[in-house]
Amino acid sequence: MKTVNPPKKLDSLKPEKVIDLRQAICPHPLNVIRDTLRALRENDVLLAVSDHEPTALENAPRFCERRGYPFRTVEQEGVWNIFIQKVEDRDARLKVENVSKTFNSGDGKVSVLNDIDLTIRDGEFVTVVGSSGCGKSTLLNLIAGLDKPTSGRIFANGKRVEGPGSDRVVVFQEGALFPWLTVRENVEFGLKLRRVAPKIRKEMAQDYLKLVGLTENFHGSYVHQLSGGMKQRVALARALVMEPAILLMDEPFAALDIQTRESLQDELQRIWVESRKTIIFVTHNVEEAVILGDRVLVFAKNPGRIKSEHEIDIERPRQPGHPEVFLYTKWITDEIRENGEAVDEVQEAAV
Amino acid sequence: MKRKVILLTVFYLLLIGIWQGVAALGIWPPYLFPSPSGVFDSLLAGFQDNSFTIGILASMKRVLIGYFISVAGGLLIGLAIGRVKVLDETVGTIVLGFQALPSICWLPIALLWFGLSESAIILVVVLGSLFAVTIGVDAGVKNVPPIYLRAARTMGAHGIDLYMKVIIPAALPSIISGLKQGWSFAWRALMAGELLYVSIGLGHLLTMGRELNDISQIIAVMIIIIVIGITVDRLVFTKLENRVRERWGLLNA
Ligand SMILES: Nc1ncnc2c1ncn2[C@@H]1O[C@H](COP(=O)(O)OP(=O)(O)O)[C@@H](O)[C@H]1O
Ligand SMILES: [Mg+2]
Repeated sequence: MKTVNPPKKLDSLKPEKVIDLRQAICPHPLNVIRDTLRALRENDVLLAVSDHEPTALENAPRFCERRGYPFRTVEQEGVWNIFIQKVEDRDARLKVENVSKTFNSGDGKVSVLNDIDLTIRDGEFVTVVGSSGCGKSTLLNLIAGLDKPTSGRIFANGKRVEGPGSDRVVVFQEGALFPWLTVRENVEFGLKLRRVAPKIRKEMAQDYLKLVGLTENFHGSYVHQLSGGMKQRVALARALVMEPAILLMDEPFAALDIQTRESLQDELQRIWVESRKTIIFVTHNVEEAVILGDRVLVFAKNPGRIKSEHEIDIERPRQPGHPEVFLYTKWITDEIRENGEAVDEVQEAAV
Repeated sequence: MKRKVILLTVFYLLLIGIWQGVAALGIWPPYLFPSPSGVFDSLLAGFQDNSFTIGILASMKRVLIGYFISVAGGLLIGLAIGRVKVLDETVGTIVLGFQALPSICWLPIALLWFGLSESAIILVVVLGSLFAVTIGVDAGVKNVPPIYLRAARTMGAHGIDLYMKVIIPAALPSIISGLKQGWSFAWRALMAGELLYVSIGLGHLLTMGRELNDISQIIAVMIIIIVIGITVDRLVFTKLENRVRERWGLLNA
C-alpha cells in the first residue's frame, strides 16, 4: 500500500488526539476509532489507549491495514497504545458525496434520501440494513446509474456516474431473469452485448454457473423450471460474469426460505473471499448484514440517511447463530430499537 | 385426444347425414337448399377446372401482402406508442378509434384513391388488420416488467439492443396474440372487399355462385374460406402461441 507521507510522523509518538478506550465499557472500539479518525485532518495521529492486547481490541491493526492507515503499537506495563496516522483514502472504489433524492409524488415532493456521504474502498464488502421504505433501493439505483440524484455527486471507479454501466451490475431481489432465455443464455446476455465470441462466452457462462454452484444439467433449463434459490444463483452468475468492479445487490436473498438463504450467504462469502470484489449488499435483515458485511451501514427513515455504521470483525465464514454474529446482531438491533425506528420490522427480520 | 376425434367424427357424420336426409325430403328446391353431395360435387368440379385453385391463390396473395404490410407497420407503431408517452396520448387514440371502424368502411376511400385495383383491396386488408396488430404490440410493450429493462441496462444494454433483446422478446406473447387477431381481421377484410368488387378470388367465386344461382358452389367456397382461416389460425398462430407461452413459463402459471 502506497503512503505519500511515510509513517515518519509516528516515530515522534506525538498524537494530535488521544482516546482512552479503558474508560467504562467501550463496546465497539473500532467504531470509536473510525469516527474519531474521520474528524481528524490529513496526516494527524490518533493515539488509542487500551488495556487489552490490540488484537483483542477489535482487531485495530487489521482495521488499519485494511484501510491503509500507518500504525504502531507500543506496550507499556499492560497498557497498549496504538498510534494511527490518518491518510487519505486512496483506493476508493465508490464515493457518494452529499447525495439527496426527492421524488415527485401526488401531493408534492418526498425526500427519500438526504445528504448521503459514503466512501467504499476497493474490495470492501459493505452491507446496508434498514427497514423497508427507507431508501436503500433508491441509493443502490443511484449508484447503478439507473436513476439520477436530485443533488450531490457519485463517483465509481474514478468516474462520475452518469448512467448505468456494466462496471456496476445489480442483482435484484427476484424476477429479473429473462424467461425467454435458458439459464446459460441469461448468463451470456451481457457478454453478448460486449460482443464476446460465442465460444468464450459459453465457457465463461459455464465457469460462473459452476462458481455459484449450479449443476450442469440445469444450464439448458428455462427460468420457470428453476427453484427460487437456483434463480438467484443464476442472477448472481449473470452479474459476476460481467466482472464488474462493483457488485450491487438489492435484497437478493429476501424472498428465499431460510435454508436456501443460508446456503447462498455461504456461497457469497466464499466468492467474496476468493475474488475480493467490492460488494454493496442491501438487506432488511440485521443478521444477514452482520454475516456478510465488513461494515454495516444502518439506514434510518424519513428522510433516508445513514444513521450509524459498524465495523464487523468476525472470522469468515460466518454462520448464523455463531455467538459473535449473535452479539453484533443484537447490538445493532438494540441500537435501532433505541432510536424507535420501525422496530418491528427490523427486529422481526433479525430473529 | 382420441375421445375428441371420435366425438367430432361422429358429430359431423351425423350432421351431414341429417343434412342429406332433409335435402332428400325435397321440402325446398335444390337451388335454395343444396345437398351435401351437391356441395361435394361443386368442390370437386371447382378444383378440377382449377377455378378454385386460382381463386385461392389470388386471395392468398392479397392477404399475405396486406398482412405483412400491417405486421411491419403494427410493430413500428406499437413499439412507438408503447414506449413514448406523448405518442401514446396522441397517436394511440387514433389507433383505438380506427380499431372500432369495420374495415370494409375503408373501401370507398380506397376505391377513390386507387380505383378498382389490387392496391385498393390490399389497402382494405392492411387497414383491417393494422390496428389489431398495433394494439397487441402496444399492450405487450407496455406490460414489459420494468425490472427486465433495469437488469439489461445494468449489464450495459442501451438503444436498439434494449428493443431487440429485451422489449420485443418480453412482449412476444402479447405480440403473437396481436398477430393472430390481425390475421383473422385481414382475412375477413379481404373477403368483404372481394365480395364487393374484385375479379378473381374467393370472394368473387361467391358472387359468381349467386349470379349463376349455384348455391352448391357458394357453400363449397364458404367451406374453403372457413378451412383456410382455421388452418392458418391453428397451424401457425395457435402453435406459435403455445410454444411461446410454454417457453415463457406462462402455461403453468
Ligand atoms: N419512483 C418513485 N417515485 C416516488 N416515490 C418513490 C419512487 N421510488 C421509491 N419511492 C419511495 O421512496 C421510498 C424509499 O423507497 P426504496 O428505496 O424502495 O426503499 P427500500 O428499498 O429501503 O425499501 C419509499 O417510500 C418509496 O415509496
Ligand atoms: Mg428495496
